[in-house]
This record gives sequence, C-alpha cells and structure tokens, in this order.
Amino acid sequence: MAARCAGRALSRAARSVINAEYNRAARSQTVQRLTCTAAPGSSSSGQDADRLKAVQFADAEVQDILNRITGLDLNKVFQPVKQELKPPKYRLLTDTQLEEAAHKAGTQAKKLLKMPPVLPERKPIEEVLCEDKMLEGMDKAKYVFTDITYNIPHRERFIVVREPSGTLRKASWEERDRLLQVYFPKNERKLTPPPMFKEENLKVMFGQNRHHAVLNYCLVQFEPDSAEFKRVHALTYEDIEKNGKYNLLWSTRLFGGLVWHLISSQRIDGLLSDMLQRDRVHDAESLVHLFNLAHPQSDSALQAQQQQASGLELLKVIILTYQQPPLVL
Amino acid sequence: MSVHGNCGSQDEIWADKVKKIKVVCEMKLKIDTKTRAMVHLSSLLLRKYHGGHVAIRLALGGATNRPFYRIVAAYNKRSRDGKYIEQLGSYDPLPNIYNEKLVSFNFDRIKYWMGCGAHPTKPVAKLLGLAGFFPLHPMTITEAERRIKSEAKTQKEEEEDEEEKQAEQ
Repeated sequence: MAARCAGRALSRAARSVINAEYNRAARSQTVQRLTCTAAPGSSSSGQDADRLKAVQFADAEVQDILNRITGLDLNKVFQPVKQELKPPKYRLLTDTQLEEAAHKAGTQAKKLLKMPPVLPERKPIEEVLCEDKMLEGMDKAKYVFTDITYNIPHRERFIVVREPSGTLRKASWEERDRLLQVYFPKNERKLTPPPMFKEENLKVMFGQNRHHAVLNYCLVQFEPDSAEFKRVHALTYEDIEKNGKYNLLWSTRLFGGLVWHLISSQRIDGLLSDMLQRDRVHDAESLVHLFNLAHPQSDSALQAQQQQASGLELLKVIILTYQQPPLVL
Repeated sequence: MSVHGNCGSQDEIWADKVKKIKVVCEMKLKIDTKTRAMVHLSSLLLRKYHGGHVAIRLALGGATNRPFYRIVAAYNKRSRDGKYIEQLGSYDPLPNIYNEKLVSFNFDRIKYWMGCGAHPTKPVAKLLGLAGFFPLHPMTITEAERRIKSEAKTQKEEEEDEEEKQAEQ
C-alpha cells in the first residue's frame, strides 16, 4: 500500500517533466524495451558483478555527487549561530574587492560544508595483556593507567585497566573516550553524554524541527564510529524520512549523510519526489546516478546500464522499476 | 693516579674526575658523550648537590581529607611539595563514580629520566608495576596476600562469634 502511494507520488511529480519533453511513442517504446530485456538480466548479472562493484561512502565520485546535491544556500550556511553580541562591522569596498569577498565567502562556505565521515561501527576491544592471579585481594577499585605522552595520536594511545582480580586489560572504547576527555579535553564535549540524547528528549527536539542542532551536537560529543553516534543519526534520519522534512538539512554539511543513509536502505522515493517538487531536476538525476552506483545489482541500475540512460531517462527508469525495499527486521 | 689534596685545586680535581668518568662511559656504555645532546648525568656531575640524585616520586596536593598526588621528577633533597624539575603524571587515590583510580604517566619522559639515572620511590615503582611498565613489585604481591589472610581471619572470627551467639541462645 505504501509502495503504491509512494510510486504514485513519484510518478505524479515526474509526469510533469516527462510529458513536457517526450511523446507517447517514445514512452511506449521504452516500456517494450523493458519487457524484452527483463529476462536475460539475471543471467548477465554474474558478468556484471565483476565490473560493477558497490561504491563506498569515501569514494571521490560519491563525495562529488553528494557535495553537488547538498547545494550552496549562503543564507542558510552563514545563518547566525548563537554567539556573543558584537556590533556589526561595516567596510567600504570597490567592485573587485566585493567580488573577492564573495569568492572568499564561497570557499569558507565549502569548508563549513565538509561532510562528517560515515564509518563502520567500531568493534569492542577485548585484549587482555596479563593475568596475575596472585594480585587477587589487592584492592577493591580498578586502576586505570593512561599514557599522556604528547606526540601520539589518540587512537594509538595506551590506556590499560588493572582489575581487582589482577587482570591487566586494555580499556574499552567508552572508557577510552572518557579518559581522553579527562586528560586531553575537547571544547564542548562532556564526560557523560547529556540527557538530550535519550529517546524521549530526542523526540522533543524533532518536534521542534531542530534536527541540525541534534546532529551537530552529536558530532561534537561522540566519535564517528561509536554505537551512540550511529544510533542518534539513525533516529534523526528515520524521523526526517517519516515526515518528509528533507529541506531542514539541505545546504548543510549533514545532507550527505542523510542521502547516503537513504540510499543504503534503498528508500529514495520520498527524497526524489521532494527534489522534483522543488524543481531540482539535476539533483534528482545525480541522486539516481548515485543510487545506481551504490546498488549495481538493482533493476534500475542494470537497465540504466543496458540503455546507457542519462539525465531524464534515468528518472524514468527508476520510476518504472521502483520496488518496495526489502523489509529490514 | 695523580696526587690529590694539597697539590691540585678543587677545579683540577673535578676536571680530572670528569675526564675519567667520560672515558669510562665511552668504554663501558659505548656512548659518545660529546655529540650526544645535553644529558643530566645527575649522579656524577652535581657540584653543589654532591651525593644527591633525581627522584621520581609522588608530590602531595589537594585539600583536607582529599589527597591528590602528582608524579614528579625532583631532586632528592628538595621538599616533597616544593620546586620540581618536571611533572610526569598524576595519581588520584580516591576512586571515582566508576570505581576507578585514575593514574597517568608520561612514559616518554619517564624513560628519559630513568636513563639519566633517576630513582623511583616505592609507591611509584608499585604503580608502574601495576601498569605493566615495570615488573610487579614484590610488596604488591605481599600486601595482597596479607590482605587475603586478614580478611579470612576476620571472617573466621565473625563465624565463631555467630556460633557462640547461637550456642548461648
């Protein structure tokens, strides 16, 4: 039911574009082509698998497409952040100086739009360095030893724990984060995560449409590959997807992550229809292209490859081949 | 051996000693003492501080009923909390809300000072042993055993007291 509605919405939004450019004959031809080539698709997928490998988030091509889709709305990027009140500074510039200032503002905006990384979840540390049974009754508290040598990267630092039972083990990721914050504090990061990141409080924030604030705080507080980070991001993206509030994150550095999350779970219909409604056709084309790159085994990717589709044809292909994504249990 | 005492001045005696020490170093330890960077050969060349050495020890700080130690490289004869050469870490003896006692070591600088001939004190040696940097200090093991024995003893006494009470009743 939901798939049908989504499909209908998609085709409604896209029909305005298609009818303007293509006549019925062309459309019927594409339909015939689809029915002919549906069957042998499965047999050639084995060969295709060698050539088409699914792309990762960090690939240059993917980053390029995501940056283009994110857009550059200067008003939103340089939105006033809560800071101390300072009186405004006025400067007298010539035309060339004004152009230079605008150019600088553009590069500064690009820096602010640098996407935070999407990394696989970190595996728990379970390394035991030494087991000394003879130290069993030594103390009731653990001893945590941190190496505060200045020149080592934090990931390679030695943080070990001596338990009351005598085992000397490496500290877990949560202990590491806490102790690194004790000895090498980062701005605005707290030792215990603030109550904002609990489920109920997150819902309040989503109700007030403050998704970007949640995600920015999450970036400051947690490491990019920690479970908490992924959980908060997943909840935020689910809420945005459910209510169609894609425009909240547009032209911020968090948009790329949202797009990648939707593509990985194969639910780009809402975003596509939103983009087409706002007349961002080129962005929609790039989105479909990225989807085909990320899922080279999907129907739309295979057919696009066979037809050498580009531009608006990509949109047609994906509308016609869109399926309900497999239920993730 | 040249004749000492009345013949040579103190400076000449010292220069002589330094020359011999350098020769010994170069022969035994195979260090080129000229091209090496300035190393505090503390036990050998301290003219005003003869017989002293650098110690790595705990300097007490904090407040009433709330101790906090800094692990510090300081001259032996200096006061416990006085002027030190370098701070090498910290030790908080009271456990926090996660039942952890936080200890930090700057292992790079500790290695440097140990190489210059600094002596760690007993508590510092114990902590380094627990950390795995040194071998385990024998007193740590002895204290663990003593604690186990005393706990077993108190448990036995409690059990005997209970039996007596029950017997009375």
